[in-house]
Amino acid sequence: MRKIEVTLENVREEIQSFYEYNKWHFLTINGVALADNILEVQWIFSKYEAMDEVIIFFAHAKYADLIPSVADIIPSAIISQRELVDMFGVVVEGSEKGLYLDEDSLQAPLSGCRI
Amino acid sequence: MSKKTINIPIGSQHIALLEPVRFKFECENEKIITVDSDVGFVHRGIERACTTKFKFDGIGYVVARVCGLCAITHSLSYTVAIEKLLGTEISVKAKYLRILLLELDRIHSHMLCLSHTCESAGFEAMFMRIMGDRELVMEIQELLTGNRIQFDYISIGGVNRDLSSEIAQKIRQNLYEVKQRALGYREEFTNNWSLSLKFKGIGALSLDDAYRFNAIGPLARASGLHVDVRNEINYLPFSEVGFVMQTHKAGDINARNLIRLDEIQNSIKMCENIVNGLPEGDIFTKPKGKPNGEALVRFEAPRGELMYYVKGNATAMLERVRIKTPTFSSIPAFSHIFVGEDYADVPAILASFDPCLSCTAK
Amino acid sequence: MYEKYRKKSPWILHYNAGSCNGCDIEILAALAPKYDLERFGVINTGNPKQSDIFLITGPVTLRSRERIVELYTQIPEPKVVVAVGSCSCTGGVFRDMYNVEDGVDRYIPVDVYIPGCAVSPELIIDGVVKGLDILEQKTKEMEKPFKLFQEATTKDGITSRRETPLRVGEDNEKN
Repeated sequence: MRKIEVTLENVREEIQSFYEYNKWHFLTINGVALADNILEVQWIFSKYEAMDEVIIFFAHAKYADLIPSVADIIPSAIISQRELVDMFGVVVEGSEKGLYLDEDSLQAPLSGCRI
Repeated sequence: MSKKTINIPIGSQHIALLEPVRFKFECENEKIITVDSDVGFVHRGIERACTTKFKFDGIGYVVARVCGLCAITHSLSYTVAIEKLLGTEISVKAKYLRILLLELDRIHSHMLCLSHTCESAGFEAMFMRIMGDRELVMEIQELLTGNRIQFDYISIGGVNRDLSSEIAQKIRQNLYEVKQRALGYREEFTNNWSLSLKFKGIGALSLDDAYRFNAIGPLARASGLHVDVRNEINYLPFSEVGFVMQTHKAGDINARNLIRLDEIQNSIKMCENIVNGLPEGDIFTKPKGKPNGEALVRFEAPRGELMYYVKGNATAMLERVRIKTPTFSSIPAFSHIFVGEDYADVPAILASFDPCLSCTAK
Repeated sequence: MYEKYRKKSPWILHYNAGSCNGCDIEILAALAPKYDLERFGVINTGNPKQSDIFLITGPVTLRSRERIVELYTQIPEPKVVVAVGSCSCTGGVFRDMYNVEDGVDRYIPVDVYIPGCAVSPELIIDGVVKGLDILEQKTKEMEKPFKLFQEATTKDGITSRRETPLRVGEDNEKN
């Protein structure tokens, strides 16, 4: 597992230059709530037919920040982005709410669960 | 030609669906143009409960309830992640027993999927036949673990029950039976006229699209994509017990069925190898400490790759448990396959994906 | 016993209201050859309008609330609701999770509760057979001729046509 730090501004360029669709398998987008209202957004990739080679791009964001979409580079990222929007209440370019949550359920359940 | 389209919904409650999911198809005549899916019917909030309600040593049994079909893969992935963080080394025997159950689970899950595909093609007798034979595997699971479905067999540090020689004998016997029956299905799936009519050339996914939409599991392997997490991890000795990746080229429903049949054969072989060559030793090592740091674990569930990301902070409560389930990341590929197919084929295509919505929505 | 079941072959409707699939595949297994629930004349349908027994699995998630009530109202009378599995009885392991209502009986009346995680097919058969009894009872009750109102009686100084006179401002639970 290798972690590469990026910023929200350059994450699109980084992923675009790195991602080759028949070499790297896109796993998912993950969010981890850190202290002081910081959200760590992770884009996780693994290599096809390699032994346990996982690369994580991560960026620190505030909840109010606009998180850029990578759906035009990786078409299957769209569903992970919708989950990120629902679970953390952030805004991701071109992704709408309501994959899992209803109007009257707890909004952004994972953002405030830090003890 | 008029450009008029009609919207046909399927779900959330439908005879062809085992689980609640809603698809909205926009059709022009019979052809599907766009697909809209709603997968959140079974969202329960397990990820949050893992970090607020339960302590780390109990979560293995909670995450098993994400999905009843691949329960073992869920608890295994979580447990391996925690063992990585704790630095616990488990015995070789426990490792083999874990693979044994993992593969038994795969056999019964694939059989369920195959029977369900037959049912959706209108072949009720085959559905009953495969479901009847599936009970042979369920019997073994019940003997080995004490429960038929939610078997809470794996705990941090090893497994909960040992394999006695009587059970081993029964496993050998039943697996032999299943093997013979599964060979019979192959004949049925390749040569039966009504099944071929429903399955061959329908719902195809090309290799290029499989790469682009990050298809996983039997869906990808049916298109010829060499992706199987059992080939890419080293926490458990899969290659030692005779794992061989199965691939197919056609990518249609028939190819997916054949992949599942091949995997059943391969899994039976792995199980037999394990039962015959099980080493002596303890099945449980007591873990020490509290999880600290982050770990990412992947496993091959019956439907594809399952990923667990666990982050701990040296207390009993974890900071984050991320569950990436196979069906969840296959949804873009599913939607892609539907476009251009006939509406009448939807139940058969959907059943061939073997979707697990409880996994998807967590 | 054979006579009793020959009268009616009830059809079941199954809905997953957020369960883990474990109970759902056990329902399928109960219908399949080894356990063979179909020998009681039971058949699984996808159509609520033709069903008599409603099998619900799972704690009710927020998004499936409306569907359950909708399906329940679409089933013609008499109907029997069977809650399959621990989580549809009480919420089970999902109790108090944020997107879950604990148990089916918050929304619709339940006749038979089947506990277990996951329930075994034997228990499902027992539960459905119990449901058949209740169904028969309900059918009989529906067929029984009844008067809309009783004779007017005077009890404790109150004249009423009800069996138990309506009292205002008194705790009913004592009776």
